[in-house]
Amino acid sequence: MNKKPNHIQPTLSAGAFPSVQGMWKQYQSDAAQSLLPIGAPYVDERLRGGIAQAGLHEFFGGAKADSHAAAAFALLLAWRLPESDAGIFWISGDKERQTSGRLYPYGLSAMGGDPARMLLVQTADLRDALRAAADAIRSKAASAVILETHGNARLVDLTSTRRLALAAAETGVLALLVRGDAVPMPSAARTRWRICSAPSAPLPGNAPGLPTFDISLLRHRGGTAPFAARVTWDHATRSFFDAPLSGGLSAIVTDTKTGPASRQRA
Amino acid sequence: MVEKQRGAMRLAACDPAAHALGLTAGMALADARARVPDLAVFDHDPAADLNLLGWLADGCERYTPACMLDPPQGLLLDITGCEHVFGDAARLAKDLHARFSRHGLSCRIALGGTPDSAQAKARYAARAISGVPVEALDGGDKVHKALRRAGLRSIGDLAVRPRKPLAARFGKAVVVRLARLLEEEDPRITPRRSLPIIHVAQNFAEPISRTNDVLATIEMLAGGAAVQLQERGQGGRRFEICLFRSDGHVARLAVDTGTPTRDAALLMRLIRERIDALSDPLDPGFGYDLIRLEVSLAEVLANVQVGLETKIDTDAAAAALIDRLSVRLGAERIRQFHARQSHIPERAALERVAQSGASKADWPKPVPGEPAMRPFRLFETPQPIEVTAGFPEGEPRSFRWRRHVHRVTRVEGPERISPEWWRHARGYAPGNGSLTRDYYRVEDNEGRRFWLFRRGLYDEIERPLWYLHGIFA
Repeated sequence: MNKKPNHIQPTLSAGAFPSVQGMWKQYQSDAAQSLLPIGAPYVDERLRGGIAQAGLHEFFGGAKADSHAAAAFALLLAWRLPESDAGIFWISGDKERQTSGRLYPYGLSAMGGDPARMLLVQTADLRDALRAAADAIRSKAASAVILETHGNARLVDLTSTRRLALAAAETGVLALLVRGDAVPMPSAARTRWRICSAPSAPLPGNAPGLPTFDISLLRHRGGTAPFAARVTWDHATRSFFDAPLSGGLSAIVTDTKTGPASRQRA
Repeated sequence: MVEKQRGAMRLAACDPAAHALGLTAGMALADARARVPDLAVFDHDPAADLNLLGWLADGCERYTPACMLDPPQGLLLDITGCEHVFGDAARLAKDLHARFSRHGLSCRIALGGTPDSAQAKARYAARAISGVPVEALDGGDKVHKALRRAGLRSIGDLAVRPRKPLAARFGKAVVVRLARLLEEEDPRITPRRSLPIIHVAQNFAEPISRTNDVLATIEMLAGGAAVQLQERGQGGRRFEICLFRSDGHVARLAVDTGTPTRDAALLMRLIRERIDALSDPLDPGFGYDLIRLEVSLAEVLANVQVGLETKIDTDAAAAALIDRLSVRLGAERIRQFHARQSHIPERAALERVAQSGASKADWPKPVPGEPAMRPFRLFETPQPIEVTAGFPEGEPRSFRWRRHVHRVTRVEGPERISPEWWRHARGYAPGNGSLTRDYYRVEDNEGRRFWLFRRGLYDEIERPLWYLHGIFA
């Protein structure tokens, strides 16, 4: 009874797909992975170096309006990869584009990214999007593939995410799954994050400052304990830095109920 | 078949049985009914006729790629250099006749040195051009009547006459037409489709219908096309597969590639994707008896050495992936950013089909220490919001968007963007065309950053409305 039922451990028939099982074991072992540091010392220390570059990572928004923060954080992580000729694929469906707008290249370049590297794939439905993502990860064309989905999609399950995760492990592509306002379900992702927008350190004249996020690690395949942090993106160094959790809050914020903890989903 | 002509219902066409009863096209319906009381009458539908003609033309492309409609009921095929497949032109005509009769269609086939001569012979069922009546000149009733009155009844009569008086009397068009009828001048026909650069085809004695057989045939044809492309030093950008069904139906599959290619294996992958993506799957019916592969667009493709540089590897992989996704999802769904000279935010950035080639744009470099002045996400249509501002021209204090109230804690603005008055016909005038926008960067009490604007100044419009245009990271 001490062994709790585990949804994540797949029960593969050993005879049928020995190679898949072998790959899966290899994927699960954390050894000899190249890690992508976030840049913020506190977060990287907790992650013991960073997130696995050849793996699938999931990002959930804290509330419905935070799905943009999850998308932005995933995009900025992709910018963290060293410059190369390989493109960054942004895959989303018609529905996502309708509700959350299109990517705007002037905003991307202002955050330190190169819009010329972006390739946008807009699919009619989620099935096509998952297939396109798997193809993009498997080819040598991409350095990062970001797939954005909204809502609780049944198609994004253990099987489909494992397909993406295995492909990412094989080719070394950073695969990022932006889930928006969905409820976390079992998946093959290496890490799962909840991302919320956080108040920025104001500029002179009380102008909004640099992009700031409250990030919390929900689960980690390597066994790192969940933690929360506040990070700010610096586009000059293309890196995050630790934002003080309390000191960054301006005195103008009077509503104490809107702290990062209270916005987590029940 | 009846049709309304000048206020009266008249017969537009009759079948052989009606002809036998003495009915002819052009007769008033009332007269026809008087003669044959139990006459079966249907509405004349020229559009359906034209559709049928187009369908027949598709089928006729098995003989030659140069095929042209000659409405209302003719088809012109340029079979120059195509007849050897059947032995000679007469055997080709026989095959064509057999196929038409299989559909219960009657047809008259005539062969001629020029399209005009063949057309006239078929229309007037004449064996030689000299026997064709002068109406074949298409010169109008007046000309035909005048010629008949002069005793000139057929093209043969005209052929022996000097041309100059004819031109003086009836105009140059008649003489040109005459020369074409007499095969002295050879105009080209304008094919319905542009002629392919390369085409390879495979005929079957017995129609094939299994998908694997079809794919194997296409692969063989692709290999043949690749050899021809190699000889020309070219690679194809657009490939078309024509599957001719034995009952006359033709299915066409087109595959576009982003870079020129002559890789048969790659082409086969794209074609498989294309077949998978079809909304209604290929229906082989009684089988295909001719499969043709056409290369309709080709570009120079030099031989490259692979393996020395990894960059070629990435580029080739990217091109292959874009092609695959384009075939499966549609080329317009794979896009890249493209800059345009405009300071209206939504006009300044476009998305272009990635397959049409990479666009080199110089995007502005970020300013160190300054946050982004443009959002990373922009709504296609600005979202209407309800804003509470301190005073009419003032900055927003709070706003309601998607049933959620956001209290603004930090704000920067306005950044004023004027409409592009030079795009409007009447030029610059206050409030001409569009309205001035005042943009604000705001952050709400939960730390979300938005890009809002007020559309219109208070001296332009009585009640300016507020919109949310973008989201900052």
